[in-house]
Amino acid sequence: MKNDDRDASLALYLFKKRSKKTVLKIITTVLILGLCFTIILPILNLVPVVFSSIEELGNPNVIWLPLEKSLVSFKAAIRFILPNGFATMAKSVLYASGIMLVQIFFSAMVGYALARVNFWGRNVVFFMVILVFLLPRQSLLLSQYIYFNHFDVLGIMDLFTKAGEVNLINNPVVLVILAVFGFGVNQALFIFLFSQFFKNIPKELEEAALIDGCGFYKTYFRIMIPNAVPIISTVAILSFVWNYGDTYYTNYFSPNGGFLSTLLSTTFSSANKDYVMNAVRTWYDVPLVPDMAFDAVKQAGVLVYLIPLLIVYLVGQRKLVENLENSGLVG
Amino acid sequence: MKKRKKLPYQVKRKINGLIFVAPFLIGFIAFFLIPIINTVYYSFNKVGVGDTGGMTFSWNGIQNYVDLFKTEVTTTSTTMARLFTEQNRDMLISVPLIVIFSLFMALLANQKFKGRALVRLVFFLPIILGIEVVTSMLTMTTGTESLDTGSQLVSGSYITIFLVRVLDVPMRVLYPIITYIENIFTLISQAGVQTLVYLTALQSISPSMYEVAKMEGATAYETFWKVTIPSIMHITLFVIVYTIVQLFIASPVAEEVYAFAFKQNKIGISSALSVVYIFNVLLVLGLVMLLLRKVVKKNEK
Repeated sequence: MKNDDRDASLALYLFKKRSKKTVLKIITTVLILGLCFTIILPILNLVPVVFSSIEELGNPNVIWLPLEKSLVSFKAAIRFILPNGFATMAKSVLYASGIMLVQIFFSAMVGYALARVNFWGRNVVFFMVILVFLLPRQSLLLSQYIYFNHFDVLGIMDLFTKAGEVNLINNPVVLVILAVFGFGVNQALFIFLFSQFFKNIPKELEEAALIDGCGFYKTYFRIMIPNAVPIISTVAILSFVWNYGDTYYTNYFSPNGGFLSTLLSTTFSSANKDYVMNAVRTWYDVPLVPDMAFDAVKQAGVLVYLIPLLIVYLVGQRKLVENLENSGLVG
Repeated sequence: MKKRKKLPYQVKRKINGLIFVAPFLIGFIAFFLIPIINTVYYSFNKVGVGDTGGMTFSWNGIQNYVDLFKTEVTTTSTTMARLFTEQNRDMLISVPLIVIFSLFMALLANQKFKGRALVRLVFFLPIILGIEVVTSMLTMTTGTESLDTGSQLVSGSYITIFLVRVLDVPMRVLYPIITYIENIFTLISQAGVQTLVYLTALQSISPSMYEVAKMEGATAYETFWKVTIPSIMHITLFVIVYTIVQLFIASPVAEEVYAFAFKQNKIGISSALSVVYIFNVLLVLGLVMLLLRKVVKKNEK
């Protein structure tokens, strides 16, 4: 009798526990699915628009899938934003990768010195890095623009004289110069990440290298850099994504550079709507172009633009969490 | 000939360290310090174009600042004072929302379940989709409003109708909530990096801490507040500062700076706006850091 009682209460306890677990599981699953849905929804919303034929756009009966499938929007988008075919995309990818390498090289150096070398005024430099990170870059846009417009290596004094100055606007060199001197896209953040990482590398590693006869540079390039692979790959992914997606530096300092992000944002600015619609009308012989055609072509352009990013993301995403964990930022 | 004295190791090291930061120092002076000084200088001057094509300056005192707030209007013809108030008010609401939301997403992504890799893949998509070009391009400019990123899903839903019709909840209360839920994609798209940082912070908490808590009989609720939250408190400061910086970078003030300088050719006014903007940013960040330092310290004890 007593035993039965105990069995019953045990069963009840187990049932309660199990049902609680199930309910919790259902709630988390719903939340996760909901969030995933919200993130993907804007992309899903594009499907009926970009894959639809131009005439069918705006059909109120269409919700998820287009009635008449066609790739005209994509063709038009590629014609707009890839004027030289895939060379345009390759150029942007190469540009982003190049700047990425420059950023990694120079940020890692600054980060290492800040973390491991007790040079004079280290705290001041660290404060400068934080300050650069905190101030929005746009607040300095104007004077930086004027600065590059009248670029003068010799000095500040003849900054505004006519002779001996170079107009560097529209010269892609500007973007490289900025990255070399630590002022590329979000570079202060990268310097900060590197310094946090190098802080956590054990001191013994450096000491052992010193005893074995490694100089400062050899220690850095042969011991430190190979050990910094996690943070380098994290910064590489972020840097590539941000440089490829950058419209700020490219728009202001190199507006005719033909970068994909610039092309995308200028071609499909709302002021350009009539031009885009007229082009679609004449190129594809569509007599009646609905207003939404502009959006369809624009969104198709965004999708084309996203291809390299998605590839990098799919390859690098898995490592991202793992690497950042070893990066010392959270330790 | 005098023999050159060999530098001691430590001094050599310091010099090498300085060589390593030298590019940044040069950059700081050339692309940060000089532009800032110039900006402040322009803001106190009437800047014009000279006969020879150069720039001319005439001292103007604080007239630019007065004009900025008294007479000038933005491209959408609101006053500057209003632009700044709205900017800061939005920040006050958005920052806590984004931070809490990213922590929430990180907590979810940290659970163990089937298909976690796939869910993480989706959860970090905002790192890509949050890029300014993409977010600005993904919005529809024409067509019915329901095509806009996820909006109208809520306001037209049965829940809302139920709340309004049956429970008689006033629209005045409901409206701001609905707006925020409908803009959830905007929120998520700004939370990519923060979620990533939080997830790594969560994963670096030692599992033995959770074991101890379990042994001591702590409930899941207690474990969350006593173990998880204190362990991620120090990273929260970074996340908050990052969010604020990100929001300021995307703020409409930046466009006004550009519009004044390049479209209306009012370089003095534009510089004055930049200076006010810098002060605004520093003020907000200073306040936040002052407040948070106390909270973080309390939690670390």
